[in-house]
Amino acid sequence: MASAAVSKRSTSRSLRFGLLLALLSVMAGPALAHSENGVAIDFVGGFTHPIFGPDHVVAMVAVGLWGAFLGIPAIWILPVVFPLVMAIAGALGVLGMPLPGVETGIALSAIALGGMVAFAAKPPLWVAAVLVGAFAVFHGHAHGAELPVGADAIAYSMGFVIATGMLHVSGIAFGALSHWPAGRIAVRAAGAVIAVIGFAYLGHFI
Amino acid sequence: MIGLLRVILPVCLLVLATPAWAHSPIMGIGGVFGGMLHALLIPEHGMSLLALGVALGLQQPVASRSGVLIFVAALMGGLVVTAFIAEPALAADILLAATGILGLLIAAAWVPPVVGWVLAAIAGVTFALDSRPEVTSTDEIIRMLIGTGIGAALALALVRGASTFLKGNAARIVMRVLGSWIAAIAIMDLALRIVTRIATG
Repeated sequence: MASAAVSKRSTSRSLRFGLLLALLSVMAGPALAHSENGVAIDFVGGFTHPIFGPDHVVAMVAVGLWGAFLGIPAIWILPVVFPLVMAIAGALGVLGMPLPGVETGIALSAIALGGMVAFAAKPPLWVAAVLVGAFAVFHGHAHGAELPVGADAIAYSMGFVIATGMLHVSGIAFGALSHWPAGRIAVRAAGAVIAVIGFAYLGHFI
Repeated sequence: MIGLLRVILPVCLLVLATPAWAHSPIMGIGGVFGGMLHALLIPEHGMSLLALGVALGLQQPVASRSGVLIFVAALMGGLVVTAFIAEPALAADILLAATGILGLLIAAAWVPPVVGWVLAAIAGVTFALDSRPEVTSTDEIIRMLIGTGIGAALALALVRGASTFLKGNAARIVMRVLGSWIAAIAIMDLALRIVTRIATG
């Protein structure tokens, strides 16, 4: 009787040990050979880089929102200007060229671009393009300065640029709601939220 | 139960295993077909063909066809040189720079014939010079380079042909956005390459 109980306890312990091993093996993450601070220098690393920075995300979404709000041709000119200027500034950041006030500029970009949407501002196209391009300098430089030197530069760059474009597209998609009165309110409210997030970053509340 | 666990555990571990790419996913595919895949599967090369095809598609039909012919001629010349010399170090960088300029021109929807032809020639030569396969047999190198030439010429003709059908506002906007993305990728890639080269000596 006693030996049966011992055998049952042993089986139960083996079962738990086995399940623990299975659980641990399922939880194991990939080992990134080409990485710096855990950042993979590949397509996925490039794609997730802009997405994991909320201050960048809100500004890029705001570009799309504002473009949709302003209509054609701003709806495509702004999302074309932003990645181009961002890439040039990113290249300067990669090359180690200093730029003062980068974080402040990024926070201001969320405030300004969100504010433009919230107040339904419709400046001339060139003013909008210059404003977006100016703020893209800060975003690009920040990304460029953070980029790890590594192997698969083309895959990383593709992931990075496509993710940025997707954030613009998501902003444009949401901004398309402004064709309807209720949607217009929702888009302006989203702009206000983005501006508030920008203020929070500026005041170091986030 | 223990027996079941002994089966489950190795299965879990096997499921989690990822493939180890020692070299390239198309390693082992050689000859002309391997060369064709080589031309299309290298991201920089694919992107350059896409950019040049779309840019030439924006031109008038006669200028556009001339651009394709210039590219093919430059490609053939470059491939002949590539068969006999080692890969020049800057070919990939010059190809990337040409791709970036093509991206900017597509974003601006402005590709003057002469500029398009010059870029087609630069792209053709640098594409070929950057395509030397990493094999030791001279016969195999020649077979793969022939495949690269055929693959690149066909891909360019296809992209150019397809882009001429992209008419209307929506298609033009998509092309401009695509051009800006190509230019942005090329600029970033070039900067990363330069810094990596400096860092690694």
